[in-house]
Amino acid sequence: MLAVRAGDLDCLGELFERHHRRLYAFCAHLTGQPAAAEDIVQNVFHRILKYRHTYRDDGRFTTWMYHLARTCAADFFNKQSAAPTPVDPADLHGHASADPAPDAHASQSDDLALLRAALHRLSREHREILILSRLQNLEHREAARILDCSVGAAKVRAHRALKALRETYFALRQNPQPL
Amino acid sequence: MNCQRIQDELLLEALHDGALPPGAADAVRAHLLTCDACRAQLASLEALAAQLDRIPVPPAPTDRMRAGFQAMLDAEKRALSAASASPRPASGLDRFFARFFPRRPAYQFAASLSLLALGLFVGARYLAPETKRPVIAQTENTLANAASAAELAELREQVNNMGRLVTYSLLQQKSTSERLQSVLATLQLKTPDRRLLTDLVGTLALDPSVNVRLSAVEALAPHTGEDLVRAGLIAALPRETAPLVQVAMIELLAAARDTEAAPIFARLMLDERADPSVRETARRALAILNTPNPSTAALPRRPAITKTMI
Ligand SMILES: [Zn+2]
Repeated sequence: MLAVRAGDLDCLGELFERHHRRLYAFCAHLTGQPAAAEDIVQNVFHRILKYRHTYRDDGRFTTWMYHLARTCAADFFNKQSAAPTPVDPADLHGHASADPAPDAHASQSDDLALLRAALHRLSREHREILILSRLQNLEHREAARILDCSVGAAKVRAHRALKALRETYFALRQNPQPL
Repeated sequence: MNCQRIQDELLLEALHDGALPPGAADAVRAHLLTCDACRAQLASLEALAAQLDRIPVPPAPTDRMRAGFQAMLDAEKRALSAASASPRPASGLDRFFARFFPRRPAYQFAASLSLLALGLFVGARYLAPETKRPVIAQTENTLANAASAAELAELREQVNNMGRLVTYSLLQQKSTSERLQSVLATLQLKTPDRRLLTDLVGTLALDPSVNVRLSAVEALAPHTGEDLVRAGLIAALPRETAPLVQVAMIELLAAARDTEAAPIFARLMLDERADPSVRETARRALAILNTPNPSTAALPRRPAITKTMI
């Protein structure tokens, strides 16, 4: 990233190759909408390019990238709450239905669908920490940097989120509602 | 240790996470030995966490994102090299695109991509040495040097790549009928915003379907009062190949009495490879632009464009 800041834009291509899948996964889990996730990733790299001069090497590139993604996602959520568009369940569960042998794993994929639905009922804060710490396997230290909080706070948030997820999941299983 | 404290302090979650100091972990484990409820809760937590790990990673639309990213990067590089080169007067087209390019959010990236490509296409056409057009007369002096020849070659290369890329992304996104629907949807809007108009101009310039482009002309028709729309029509007209669409565009520009279109009309009128109906329309349009009073020279309206004629 220092090379990019110094004007070597080709290095940004490398950064894109290295990080875009993970960033997309984060955004797709967070928004539940693949198209929005794609837009956010484009937006993040647009901002990286635009604001490359402001990058400071005391931070880590991935942290900065996640910061930008959270800002862009917040923009997305603001726009969405201003003009709500229903989430297409096919969007949410599209990649699960592509799993092979649906019969053999029917109940398992049902559980996964339920889990996803539960994930999307959580507050954004809880969903975010679960995605970072569980789905993206980041350490609490790294998650804390991304979320701009102390390691202790990130841990507590992760534990609260896990508890909330468990409660939501079992509530949904007891009383299934249209997704 | 009791159930309430375990609940309040999230001790099961912390234990599962390996976040408890050894003493506290032992105390919770001791409680678990005696408490079925807490044990069951920990078990369900662990099952859920295991399931969480099985949520598949959504496959990223890598090709499309990479194409968008690359286009963005190329645009930035171009801007950089343009800024470091000696300053040259901005052409009308540069000004046209500059008006909305820098402010376009990446959310509308497909649209800006289209416009970027449009800009490059049109730019390459206008700047191509074999076709000297009056529009760029003021920039010709600065272009007539070796450095700009290299720049032109690079520009053409980019245009070629960009054309494929945009067509690809357009085709990837939607079927023709879906694209048509999205254009037709804008017909309902009394006051489409700038973004929509920009998208329509991009569609007009780059959509591979004649039907879609024709509908885009129709959708733009009520908005020729907007500079953006007229400039977009003028930019897109030289690369239009379908006579039907060419005629519709010429008529629209003539009705808007945009004198900036005169050089293109003149060229089309004289172009022997152009369709006779296009040449005739261009001739009449030029006559209209040269007529002082707008009210006496209204171009006879063609019957409404039908969307099923192709
Ligand atoms: Zn207990």
